[in-house]
Amino acid sequence: MKNRLGEIRKKHGIKQEELADALEVSRQTIGSLENGRYNPSILLAFKIARYFDLSIEEIFIYEESEVK
Amino acid sequence: MKKSLSPVILMFLGLLLLSAGIYIVKTSIDPQGMVRVLPYVCIGLGCGIFGHGTGDVISRRILKNHPTKEKEIEIEKNDERNIAIGSLAKAKAYDMMIYVFGALMLAFALMEVELAALLLLVFAYLFVVAYGIYYRYKYDKEM
Repeated sequence: MKNRLGEIRKKHGIKQEELADALEVSRQTIGSLENGRYNPSILLAFKIARYFDLSIEEIFIYEESEVK
Repeated sequence: MKKSLSPVILMFLGLLLLSAGIYIVKTSIDPQGMVRVLPYVCIGLGCGIFGHGTGDVISRRILKNHPTKEKEIEIEKNDERNIAIGSLAKAKAYDMMIYVFGALMLAFALMEVELAALLLLVFAYLFVVAYGIYYRYKYDKEM
């Protein structure tokens, strides 16, 4: 799943480490999310959205072709 | 919360087992049957428990002075990606184990090893498979 996490994080001027601390996940998880290698659980997606005061859809981009 | 044995108790328990094992090895004359193996099992288990307890005591002592490090470790442990990776790795290892143990049982049967040992291995194999089926059923009901 594609997402705009990296772009939004940089816009807010936050480091990966700071975001990871705030969300209580590892820095590697933030890196993997930004690279699109890992899809978050719905809980983490909500936490990220709440942190940036955005909706999940504004951060994570759903594409029909991803459904197998 | 699940309470585990205190690491200091574990350390002493390990030391006790280790000492008992060494004592039996040194004092028994011409041991027969299970007594021949038991002290070595005690030594092995004792070393393992003692090492685990000692490690726990040391890490707790170090972490007491570094609360940020403790939080870091807690985050790493509960990180959902790390948990997902661990679960996937375990699932892969289980799939592999099914084939490896299957081949091992076949090899043992062809080697005509003692029937009791072979049956124990088959029982353990089937127990693990049944355990997997039970949890599949349980999670199917829960999720």
